Amino acid sequence: MNEAIEFTVGFSHGVEWGWPIGVYLLLAGISGGALIVSLALRYYQRQSVETPLLKAASLVSFVTIVFGMVFLVGDLEKPLYFWKILINYNFKSVMSIGVLALCLYIPLTFVLVAIVFEGWIKEHLATTPLAKLFFLFPLLKALRPAVEVLAFVFAIVVCAYTGFLISVLVRFPLLNTAILPALFIVSGLSAGTAFSSLIASFFFQADAHAGDMKTLHTIEWPVMALEMLLLFMLFVSLIVGTSFDKQTAGAFFQGGYSALFWFGVVGIGFGVPLVLNFLLGKKVAHSAFTFYLSGTASVLGVLSLRLFILYAGQTFSA
Amino acid sequence: MEQDEKRRNFLKYLGASSVVVGTIGQGVLAEEQAQTSNEGKKPHYGMIFDQNKCVGCTECEVACHKINAVPQGQARLYVQNKTDPATPMEKRYVRVSCQQCEDAPCVNVCPTKACHRDEKTGIVTMNADDCIACKYCIVACPYDVRFINHETKAAENCNFCFNTNFAKKQDPACVQACKYKALVFGDLNDPDSYINQILHVKDAVRMKPTFGTKPSLRYIPVVKVGV
Ligand code: SF4
Ligand code: SF4
Ligand code: SF4
Repeated sequence: MNEAIEFTVGFSHGVEWGWPIGVYLLLAGISGGALIVSLALRYYQRQSVETPLLKAASLVSFVTIVFGMVFLVGDLEKPLYFWKILINYNFKSVMSIGVLALCLYIPLTFVLVAIVFEGWIKEHLATTPLAKLFFLFPLLKALRPAVEVLAFVFAIVVCAYTGFLISVLVRFPLLNTAILPALFIVSGLSAGTAFSSLIASFFFQADAHAGDMKTLHTIEWPVMALEMLLLFMLFVSLIVGTSFDKQTAGAFFQGGYSALFWFGVVGIGFGVPLVLNFLLGKKVAHSAFTFYLSGTASVLGVLSLRLFILYAGQTFSA
Repeated sequence: MEQDEKRRNFLKYLGASSVVVGTIGQGVLAEEQAQTSNEGKKPHYGMIFDQNKCVGCTECEVACHKINAVPQGQARLYVQNKTDPATPMEKRYVRVSCQQCEDAPCVNVCPTKACHRDEKTGIVTMNADDCIACKYCIVACPYDVRFINHETKAAENCNFCFNTNFAKKQDPACVQACKYKALVFGDLNDPDSYINQILHVKDAVRMKPTFGTKPSLRYIPVVKVGV
């Protein structure tokens, strides 16, 4: 086609979905990932007590998704109109489907927190007006299996939808790939695991090197390997693609966002945990310092990943 | 597809002008059938931009701003200068605006249906009141021709002057403003429309058709002959 007839300018300002959306994507990932891992572990290990991990994960999943909503609504240019999204639905829109899923998921995480913290609530809130609601606990107990299954399913849906949300954007080769939703689920698992381990150990006295924490510590590495593999696949699909794809592959090597990738995603997210846990000897690997630093690094790595995908993704367009 | 249709129409005219009586009968019949089947059919509005005629005066931009109250510094329509610096005397301009896709991603992704296709006319337009300015449509549009209007705080696109000139049954402001007739607006489903007559005789292309959104704008590029 005659190139002089193709226009090459647009009316948007490059990155229209900025860091608040990136933070939301991270928080949704943490929330879903934390629940998926902790509930899976509970089934797998047939646990019946409220483990520190479950306490941490349920709390984390509720709090992060609520904060996520704040960022999501805050990024609208008409935040006070956000209720319009709750009364108008477009079932072709991933955003509408996501909102529906969140409308179920957020109450589910809340109920799960209430169930898991029954003991604490009865002890600390007995003198408040909320005590009137305590009669609901037997009901919640009866519903618990259903709540757990639904929460597990919707946790996956929430993680996946954040990926689909941006993978439908055909203009951007880095985003418009089938790998993205998978990458978002896997990185969500990794951030969710890391964050809830930190909370479990810091607030709920989980032993950082035994029980659940130990199991999580062993699944952390295959998950990280999977994340690396998906990123590699994404990169390869770009360099063997069309001229637009090839240009987009440059996102990994040129410009400011490539620094975010190599420094944030690879250096902090993968490098720091690997070095601390494997290269500096057993003593360092088993220290509390390593536990906290490596967990924090994982979360920061996933934040960098979300921001990199979002910013670099919207910078290179077909 | 388009090519096929053109050829068929060409043959049809050939048939109609032929001296063979039988063919005339058939030609007329075909014409009649086409017309009756066109009744009750929804319109499909489209626009032609003819690069051969555009001189880059930007009168269309000015008219669009005025008629549709587009805030300063923003635009539904922009005329880009694509002149090759190596051949500065051979001017090339191109219209940048919503392509009025038949399969419009902006409509598909809008969570509130603020960005929608008008039932009757098939035009992709906006209900500014329902827009929450989530910008999903802006990132979803393959042509990058949507923006959040600073004043209404709602997303916007060229909607063929849906609320202004079109509502008054007039040609779009940009079309009216073009002194060189580089812009033609009309119903692509009406075989007799002027826009279709032009498309029958001129080669037109769609912008970035590989996105698969079936844009309704047609571009007639400058083609060098005899070089
Ligand atoms: S060009 Fe963009 S704004 Fe216009 S209909 Fe197509 S997707 Fe929507
Ligand atoms: S910005 Fe407005 S029109 Fe666009 S998708 Fe969001 S709500 Fe719909
Ligand atoms: S058709 Fe109307 S809204 Fe579209 S560019 Fe022309 S004047 Fe502007």
